[in-house]
Amino acid sequence: MPVRWILHWQPNQGVIVNSHIFNEISQCVESMNGVKDGRWKATITFYRPNLRDQSLSADFPRDFLGISLMDQPNKYYFIIRGNKIVLEADSSILTIMEKLQSYKSKVALNFEGVQYKLGDFQMKIIKVAPNQAENLRGILMEIEYLPISSVEKARPIMEEFIDIWREVLSKKSVPGQFMLAEADFAEYGLSDNYSWQHTAVQYATTLAQLIATVQQLRN
Amino acid sequence: MVFCTLKGRRSLPSQKKADMECVVQGIIETQHVEALEILLQGLCGVQRERLRIHEICLKNGPNLGLVASEVRLLCDLEQTEPSWTVRHIGGAMRGAGAEQISVLVRTMVESKVSKNVLRMFYTLGYKLDHELLRVGFSFQFNRGAQITVTVSSVNKMLKLHATDEAVPVTPGIQMVEVTAPASAENYTEVAAAVSSFCEYLAPLLHLSKPGVSTGVVPTAAAAAASLMSDGGGTTL
Repeated sequence: MPVRWILHWQPNQGVIVNSHIFNEISQCVESMNGVKDGRWKATITFYRPNLRDQSLSADFPRDFLGISLMDQPNKYYFIIRGNKIVLEADSSILTIMEKLQSYKSKVALNFEGVQYKLGDFQMKIIKVAPNQAENLRGILMEIEYLPISSVEKARPIMEEFIDIWREVLSKKSVPGQFMLAEADFAEYGLSDNYSWQHTAVQYATTLAQLIATVQQLRN
Repeated sequence: MVFCTLKGRRSLPSQKKADMECVVQGIIETQHVEALEILLQGLCGVQRERLRIHEICLKNGPNLGLVASEVRLLCDLEQTEPSWTVRHIGGAMRGAGAEQISVLVRTMVESKVSKNVLRMFYTLGYKLDHELLRVGFSFQFNRGAQITVTVSSVNKMLKLHATDEAVPVTPGIQMVEVTAPASAENYTEVAAAVSSFCEYLAPLLHLSKPGVSTGVVPTAAAAAASLMSDGGGTTL
């Protein structure tokens, strides 16, 4: 499958992410002749262990995430970031997890995006919001280069595209910039051949970076 | 964490599909397995598939979870690239209705997964309970229900995960299992289809609900001899 990169929006100091910024970014994509190509959705769920004794929580993974992607409706992805584990499963795994009653979902974040086509590239501008709530907590951008499925081969093309894209954004003076939190695929045992598991790892990595950024800005 | 302001439920819609199975089991002496294979071949009209499955049974550690839970990881070693499945077997259906049916009806959910599933469950706090290697063959066909018959010898490993050095748990005896996926809507029909299929195998082996051991049948040797002599042409 084609290689994707996922970037997160880092607002300038003192600026809060809002819908206005999201709209300005979307307009920039349109100014690059991006053609709207539908909507997209994903959900990331945080799981916590069901413990009889809460003082033992340190013995269990704190960052156990589940990811569902609209493009893969019959699949579900689990990530344990601390242990560099990614698992692809049929979505019936959710029924199994419910029956096991050993972990429960605590919080879910919705990722809702608009997809654009720009020649060989596909872009998504994505709003991140807590489930069932309207307030925007972050903005992500996904870039997909359709002709290449090798992570390494796609790198120079992706870098070049991002340089052009940053230039377009800077001309608009949108207060912030897109940052790349690169995932180390090899640590997760993933090869150079891009797959949905790579996508899941990228979302988990980018989300962690996004949360860190928000916390940093608050402190 | 700043993001976690609302308690959310998983957003995927629950999937409406068969999450139950009808199952019966029996045993047969290894010397009669060839005859059983001939009989099954004749009844099913499909080719057998070779079976080599490494089954790892995990249980939750003492501090994890509000209830005891068990999950099975099945690694299909017949594939060029071993493939993994997570299987959860739930409680058997109970009550007067269930008593009257000659097959066991229970919940069963499976999910095909990528290869590092064992590592994930260990990390989540699950522990190895036991592991087995099943070697044999299976037939899959449709006869009023999607029936799978597996005939296999159950082996234990002398060293952890050493599937190449597995030894039979019950030498000279193989296990036969007949299963069919079902749902809350159709399990009576599926159970009837499984029961009626099992009658064809009766001269060679007796199949009953798991846990209800009925041993080998006395007619097995004669039935096997008959099958072997005419290649399954005799009406049993």
